[in-house]
Amino acid sequence: MTRLSGGLIDRNRSLNFTFDGKSYTGHAGDTLASALLANDVRLMGRGFKYHRPRGVFTAGSEEPNALVELRAGNRQEPNTRATVAELFEGLDARSQNHVGSLGFDLLAVNDLMSPFFAAGFYYKTFMWPKAFWEKLYEPMIRRAAGLGSLSMQADPDSYDAGFLHCDLLVIGGGAAGLAAALTAARTGARVILADEDFRLGGRLLAESAPLDRPAAEWIAEVEAEFASLPNLRVMRRTTVWGAFDHGIYGAVERVSDHLPTPGKRVRQSLWRITAKRAILAAGATERHIPFANNDRPGVMMAGAMRAYANRWAVSPAKRVAIFTNNDDGHRTAADLAAKGVEIAAVVDSRPDAPARGSYRTIAGGMVTDSKGRLGLAKVEVTQNGRAEWIDCGALGVSGGWNPNLHIASHHRGRPVWNEAAQAFLAEDGNVAGLSIAGAAAGKGSTAQALASGAQAAVAALADIGISAHLPDLPRAEDEALNLKPLWHVPGKGRAWVDFQNDVTVKDVKLAYVENLRPVEHLKRWTTLGMATDQGKTSNVTAIAVMAELTGQSINQTGTTIFRPPYTPVSMSVLGGGDTGAHFRPRRLTPTHEWAKSQGAVFVEVGQWMRAQYFPRKGETEWRQTVDREVLATRAGVGICDVTTLGKVDVQGADAGEFLDRVYANAMKSLKVGMVRYGLMLREDGFAWDDGTCARLAEDQYVVTTTTANAGTIYKHMEFCRQCLWPELDVQLISTTDAWAQMSVAGPHARKLLERVVDGFDISNEGFPFMACANLTVCGGLRARLFRISFSGELAYEIAVPARYGNALMARMLQVGADLGATPYGTETLGVLRIEKGHAAGNELNGQTTAQMLGMGKMVSTKKDSIGAVLSRREGMVADRRVLVGFQPVNAADPVMAGAHLFAEGAAQDTANDQGWITSACYSPHVGSAIGLGYLVNGDSRKGEVVVAANPLQGQSVRVRVVSAHFVDPEGGRVRD
Amino acid sequence: MTDLTPICALGAAVPQSRTIGAVTLTENAELGLASLALRRGGAAPDLGLTLPGPGGWAEGQGIAAFWTGPDQWMVEFPGQASQDVAARLAGPGVSVTEQTDGFAAFEITAPEPVLVALMEKLVNVDPARFGSGSATRCGFHHMSIFIIRRAADRLAVLGMRSAAGTIWHALVDAAEQQEIRA
Repeated sequence: MTRLSGGLIDRNRSLNFTFDGKSYTGHAGDTLASALLANDVRLMGRGFKYHRPRGVFTAGSEEPNALVELRAGNRQEPNTRATVAELFEGLDARSQNHVGSLGFDLLAVNDLMSPFFAAGFYYKTFMWPKAFWEKLYEPMIRRAAGLGSLSMQADPDSYDAGFLHCDLLVIGGGAAGLAAALTAARTGARVILADEDFRLGGRLLAESAPLDRPAAEWIAEVEAEFASLPNLRVMRRTTVWGAFDHGIYGAVERVSDHLPTPGKRVRQSLWRITAKRAILAAGATERHIPFANNDRPGVMMAGAMRAYANRWAVSPAKRVAIFTNNDDGHRTAADLAAKGVEIAAVVDSRPDAPARGSYRTIAGGMVTDSKGRLGLAKVEVTQNGRAEWIDCGALGVSGGWNPNLHIASHHRGRPVWNEAAQAFLAEDGNVAGLSIAGAAAGKGSTAQALASGAQAAVAALADIGISAHLPDLPRAEDEALNLKPLWHVPGKGRAWVDFQNDVTVKDVKLAYVENLRPVEHLKRWTTLGMATDQGKTSNVTAIAVMAELTGQSINQTGTTIFRPPYTPVSMSVLGGGDTGAHFRPRRLTPTHEWAKSQGAVFVEVGQWMRAQYFPRKGETEWRQTVDREVLATRAGVGICDVTTLGKVDVQGADAGEFLDRVYANAMKSLKVGMVRYGLMLREDGFAWDDGTCARLAEDQYVVTTTTANAGTIYKHMEFCRQCLWPELDVQLISTTDAWAQMSVAGPHARKLLERVVDGFDISNEGFPFMACANLTVCGGLRARLFRISFSGELAYEIAVPARYGNALMARMLQVGADLGATPYGTETLGVLRIEKGHAAGNELNGQTTAQMLGMGKMVSTKKDSIGAVLSRREGMVADRRVLVGFQPVNAADPVMAGAHLFAEGAAQDTANDQGWITSACYSPHVGSAIGLGYLVNGDSRKGEVVVAANPLQGQSVRVRVVSAHFVDPEGGRVRD
Repeated sequence: MTDLTPICALGAAVPQSRTIGAVTLTENAELGLASLALRRGGAAPDLGLTLPGPGGWAEGQGIAAFWTGPDQWMVEFPGQASQDVAARLAGPGVSVTEQTDGFAAFEITAPEPVLVALMEKLVNVDPARFGSGSATRCGFHHMSIFIIRRAADRLAVLGMRSAAGTIWHALVDAAEQQEIRA
């Protein structure tokens, strides 16, 4: 154990955990990384490409190396950063990305083949040899890709989502964030303070004496005041991961990740925070200085080494060295030395580096190499051309700090290089309403951070008319870094820039040589910054190396920008808890309960659950059921719930005129009490949707849409009403859910309905084909009746208030039992309409026209309507594909929807394509499979045999072109 | 009077109700609804209440209404689902559509702080700006619903009747999580 004195861990609470099956003990307040270091575990993983040993590199969410799998079974989660995994009793962690043990990874052989994995190797596999890609390269790359493994089991935990609103959102709870939140919350403004850590304080927790008093004491006082302010919401363990439009920020709160299991709690919550103003106080990430073999476990950021010592009371080794180009590295040396850690040397690249402690300082020196098989054993230091090896178990590297400005560039605001700060800085307003404070704004000292946080809060609130005052803040350290840039140590060995994606200085140089020099190209060619850490510890360094190679300044070289999420977000929490059966809304028809009681098999149709068919005892296969339902309907009467069709109530003095404009055919001329089939076109002239239009009164129509387009068409009609023709006096409202609507079809349909309507004349004379009426049924229940047919049979659709749908269905089947009344589902509905040659969604797929449907003449030339003019354009009219029917020449052959049509003997390619089968089914009426489809000049090719080919399944069936109307082509039955 | 027996939106003969901690959820199966839209030059009928403006809900004697669009309202008739409520609004200059069965209504009661916390998990509406007498259309688990703040401690959710089960599940889920957090 290398526990040091002090720290913010609770030594009275020990926590047992395992790593790679071995038991260890840590303390409450530890992360997995700090607990492993405390147990002298430096080796935590393997590199992505070369499988070299890797240890923890940072102490925060920017960690590129210490990625582990947490938990087991269906809770196993790969690629979790050990640096932010809060330790709990029983935590089960495993290293990943190795074959064999972590200490002896068989894939470490990749390291010997590193020349083959240089920058752009992946792209190069596309090029040569051509035959290798599909059979060799792609399978190999796919196998090697990724780090951890998935359990392949469903996530057992629950998640939820929520919405918050505030005057000011403060992102980050370090010195600047605390000062900002304190300043703002004291005004009474609604403030949210979100921090990704489980403890507020940020770098204040990592420093030995950032304030003129113990930092933990000041933080505790601030937290106590926070607790007394009801207008302030403090969200710990909450990462703000993205800035979106209109002041909306995405955040994930890890509600239960620090517990062994969530129990009844959600695991994580997704928050959508709407903030009038926001302050980004996310701090800064330290950058390293690449040198040869700088990836050994034990090499880490100097600031992280200091954080482990001060916050977690742990050192990665008993003897450590520091490599720095600024004063901050010396701070680490001083803090560790004060805790009894032996400082082997501070290697300071600045020739004039002062000696700041009792340790050895090597001014003007550089670390040029390292040794140690599974962990650092020694470093080579070169000073004035003279090299020496220094024994040390860990090396802290400090190359300066990069402000965490990621969220400030989520709206494409590009950071600008600031020579004085030696960092890219973002500007306030890159995201509207977002200002930046503290180290994220390049104000790195504690004093600067506190002051800028408070000032940012005053300014942000002033923007929204709230007056705030600067609070009294503790005196804090205000030391400059005195940084002298050193971006990498020159040398021949591999020097890692991006640890997670294994990108080295050599790779950057290769990108330069291969002319992939712009930063966007550099990024893609080398995959730099494209790992899960988005290059937090590597991007700027790589840009600087490229700048050095091109001779341009860093500012001229530019930088890539960042996109959400700031840190990885699980797919489950993005779903906000809507998973499994609740993945999307489930809509039930009014007869659902009845259908369920009848043993119906249901099918998802969009959001709807519809009865697909109603199997009876003895029916062992769905086709038996459907054939029975079809024949029973054609012989007697069948009943089907068709509530799902969209219904829109159209009222107003100009209702007819309005419908004339949205439908291709005329509706104004429709008589009251009658129904007309209607076809809607899109603006581009293609067929869009069909349905019926019933005129219930001079100033009232009820139109129906297809189930699939119910919402879209209603929205379209509202757009037309509100935006295109606001001058029309017309009002719309959806009534889809209000009415339970049932199709009653078959030769006995009238007889059945006569038994439920209240004395209403539904004789052929009193209520002819395409009639409609308001009436009552079953002793006074208000209802609507439409004499329309989708099956080719005598048919009606009857509608009652939805709450009565269940009872009416049961009643009609009861009173129609002697008539053979049979419920049918969507399968039979489909068969009936295909047999009759009615178009449906398959035929109205957005690529077909009224002319192709055989409805060209329905597009009225006596009035204008949406899509009418463009439907007559040359290209549309020239399309000679027409809807016809198909029957297999050999009655036993199937007809496949989607099959393409070719002349017999013609090559089955695009050039010879003559159309396609849109719908197909087995027709018990015909006694064979049948199909509908579009065929070039199909209307004049009846009797001809063509080939329906499905090359994907090697199918080729000879089919005869027939009328699309397999049932009652004259239409006598519907008018009977 | 019809001899058919209606069922509630959640599929049972009687409305559902659950109390979870401090939250009570109730299916309001007896709420009569009709939409009211003014035609060009039309005037609203006298309903005994002032029809509210955008974002508003107003209550009268046995009747209430909330704004749904310019010159458009949804009129509520508590306890009158079986009545022809549309007929009570019908008249010249207005377009009226029966909507009783178009929606499933759920009433939520909870002490104000609990209700506010629950709202944070339900809808993207700022509770601080949605006091008593507010109503709005908003998204809810990929659906569109109306919510009404009937009182500081009462919220109503009106959504598609066909999706009643999904709405109920989401409400119960949120109330249970609320109880766990409390």
